[in-house]
Amino acid sequence: MEHDIADLGLVRIDDRLIHGQVVANWVKVLRSRRIVIVDDDVAADSFMQNVMRLAAPPGVTVEVYSLQEGINVLKGKPLQADKILVLLKSPQVAEQLYRNGVHFKVLNVGGLGAAPGRRPVFKSISLSDEELAILQRLVDRGVEVTLQTVPGEKKVSLASLLSRL
Amino acid sequence: MTQIVVVTHGRLGEELLRTAEMILGPQEGVHVVSLLAEERPETLQDKLDAVLQRVGADDTLILLDFLGGTPYNAVARCLRDSHIECVTGVNLPLLLEILSARDAFSAADLAQMAVRTGREAIKNLKPLLGPASDGA
Repeated sequence: MEHDIADLGLVRIDDRLIHGQVVANWVKVLRSRRIVIVDDDVAADSFMQNVMRLAAPPGVTVEVYSLQEGINVLKGKPLQADKILVLLKSPQVAEQLYRNGVHFKVLNVGGLGAAPGRRPVFKSISLSDEELAILQRLVDRGVEVTLQTVPGEKKVSLASLLSRL
Repeated sequence: MTQIVVVTHGRLGEELLRTAEMILGPQEGVHVVSLLAEERPETLQDKLDAVLQRVGADDTLILLDFLGGTPYNAVARCLRDSHIECVTGVNLPLLLEILSARDAFSAADLAQMAVRTGREAIKNLKPLLGPASDGA
């Protein structure tokens, strides 16, 4: 077992990243003051960074990093004081973070739109076979992977989802 | 003439336009994009892209219900275009104002007017009316 587990508030996969009420709900539940977006595209696009910042709930700071910067910022940090909501667009990025030492305990899959190779699996979440395999690998390494769009709504674990597919 | 695109959750935009037309008469060059319950975000983006394609290079003002949420995410992406402006918090008074003025102003000017009019339209009415004289 690794011992540099970062005490992250929540790592969430949502291809819309900051999305009005959804993120506002999570921020409230987590009492988060800090949103960290790890996404190469947004990190290279100052216009989209402003789009994200404007959509953030009041009083919450938004930081945007490329994958490599995100690893450097989040790796091994005991971030107990400042509960962080980490937002990612894909399971691929979550696995890259984990493999590079960002050992989150909980991964929330919240929203992934339809795309070639993906099929709807739960509510507004579509996943490809490859993405399901990535999530399973994270479960195998001890991450609690759940699919849930909004706090308080129904959630399912990856295991129970896979048993139904 | 500046094209107007109203983008909202639910059928708010459709009814706003219908109500404005009740007051001002039929309007041309006003488009509505609605995000309906259970509709996917990509559907809204597709509908918005289709409207903007139809509008083409005309000066365009997008009126959005509020900042944040799916309509915001879809609209914000379009604002890199220099001929497209956007105002959030659409209400009936600002819609009436810009529909009446859009022959003579650019989208950027209309955006400023819309913000001013929309804000001024919101009043806490009772304090403005003063104390009522009792049963006089």
